[in-house]
Amino acid sequence: MISLWQAHASFAMIIFLILPSFGLNRGWRIALLLALLAISFIPLGGLSLAVYLRSHIDDLAITSLVFMGWGCLRRLGMLPPAQHGQTSVLILFAAMALVLYPATMGLSDLDPYRLGYSPRPLLIFVALLTFGLFYLRNYLAVVMLAGATLAFVLGTKPSHNYWDYLVDPLLGLYCCLALLMLAARRVYRRLTTLRGSMRNGSI
Amino acid sequence: MRIKFPSLPALGVYLALACLFAGAWLTHPAPGHSSFARISPVSAVPDTVVKPIYTSRFASSGLVDFVHSSAVTALPDGSLMAVWFAGSREGAADVQVRSARFDVSTGEWGQEQVMATRESTQQSTRKYIRKLGNPVIALAPDNRLWLFYVSVSMGGWAGSAVNVMVSDDFGEHWSAPRQLITSPFLNISTLVRSAPVFHVDGSIGLPVYHEFLGKFAEYLYLSADGEVIDKFRISHGKNSLQPAIVALDGQRGIAFLRYAGTTHHRVLASRTEDAGQTWSEPFPLVPSNPNSSLAAVATPDQRLLVALNDLQEGRFKLSLYVTDAKMTDWRLLHDLDKSPDPEGDPFSPLAYKEIIKIEFRGSSGKLREPLEAQFLANLDNRVCKNRGCEFEYEYPYFIRSPDGMYHLVYSWNNTFIKHVTFNDAWLSERLK
Repeated sequence: MISLWQAHASFAMIIFLILPSFGLNRGWRIALLLALLAISFIPLGGLSLAVYLRSHIDDLAITSLVFMGWGCLRRLGMLPPAQHGQTSVLILFAAMALVLYPATMGLSDLDPYRLGYSPRPLLIFVALLTFGLFYLRNYLAVVMLAGATLAFVLGTKPSHNYWDYLVDPLLGLYCCLALLMLAARRVYRRLTTLRGSMRNGSI
Repeated sequence: MRIKFPSLPALGVYLALACLFAGAWLTHPAPGHSSFARISPVSAVPDTVVKPIYTSRFASSGLVDFVHSSAVTALPDGSLMAVWFAGSREGAADVQVRSARFDVSTGEWGQEQVMATRESTQQSTRKYIRKLGNPVIALAPDNRLWLFYVSVSMGGWAGSAVNVMVSDDFGEHWSAPRQLITSPFLNISTLVRSAPVFHVDGSIGLPVYHEFLGKFAEYLYLSADGEVIDKFRISHGKNSLQPAIVALDGQRGIAFLRYAGTTHHRVLASRTEDAGQTWSEPFPLVPSNPNSSLAAVATPDQRLLVALNDLQEGRFKLSLYVTDAKMTDWRLLHDLDKSPDPEGDPFSPLAYKEIIKIEFRGSSGKLREPLEAQFLANLDNRVCKNRGCEFEYEYPYFIRSPDGMYHLVYSWNNTFIKHVTFNDAWLSERLK
């Protein structure tokens, strides 16, 4: 019997994070999150809504759950906005996704997914990365990577592959899109600053 | 310059992280890889004359459904178990994985049983399932019977995942299906079609293939309990599917590949010298391949028997070839089934009915003979399209049972699963 706690938690958190805040106070936001959790159990054709979502996005990586949990806590006002390195989290997981998925699905002769079955080299790399991120006080990334590794040791997912704990396509896609948006925003700001200084110079 | 030491809590975190990663490192050594297991069939006693045997009959008995993608395994009591998928059409929601048993005393196949449905797979895997396909059955050396089959939750066959069921009592009772985790991308794009290869330590080598961004083959390495512990690329790119693997000895093996490209239309092969861990670059062989599945088995004298559609286009002829281990010398042994038209051109429904009536009598076996009238009344779009009615003999699956008999099952016009049996004496006779 497959444990579906992850599917229900993912369902509630994904929709909670997609929905706007509606100007609700903390109490109502908690109620909304709980309501979404309850909705995830509604059966449709013999399967719950959470199971339908799971059928399309599969079981998410532990890093995604931590990331979404952090996002929910922020939305609920229980955590302050990240002070350090939010962009480095995006870069880290976007890079992981870009290394892993195209190659594994056949666009390269190499199969990086195999590294997850004999994970010692990958563990050393992730350990060094985690130490470095902790040194840089990027605590969100540290919790994500440490949480994934702890779950891997405990075997909380049916997969024996370390990659399945570290990254999933949804997280990869989110990070890539967020980075693109950040880049676009930065380019736009630079262009407006440049235009402003040119105008000032011409006067 | 002053060196700044971390605070005590920070040191504690470093220590905890070090313990965590050290624990992960210690508990996850690289999986071992053992040699191919060699099954030694009983060979004929010298100086005894063994009669050549070549028989055929239908393994399936349904008359309405589209049937396809069969597989067979030998059981210790001498019986056989075959599986295939059946439904209103390929990819329909009503497709089921069905099985039947071959009774060695009567020489006939029994009633069809339902092994897995969309609903049963959905309930056990806790995922929405759109369709099922490609079952594969095999008895492991530890006498556990394994069933692998494909299911799709979204999209076409490229969205497939592999499900597994296991039986400890030769197919009387089965475990609930569970999905193998074979791909990091939503666990899609892994399909199974060909016979698994067992290794000395009980681990299972499952030939699989991808159909999403690329079309390539892999060798999935499962523990004796059916957990995916490693995998190895057999081919790359976008032109090879459905590897059929034959172990030649403990280390050497050959993978025959269905060609899915657009240039030479020939069967591809790849070799391993380390029990499936690395594979040579696939190379084209002599026989043609019209992008269709093929099957192979080794003979005791280190030759290879290959069942395939040796055609550039269409699947209207299924042939049995023999080749040496180097795969340079190919010889046609027998056409297992073929269309009366040498080009495989379609026939009018009326002409087709007359021909297939004769074909039916030649293929069905005694038990299924009374089904002839019903069968002819049920001919429909499984074989007849707008341009006419065609013959299709495809998707062979080959085994050599412990008693030394060769068993081949394949789709017979997508209306029946046909089972052909022969022995070494028949083979020797054909090789003269």
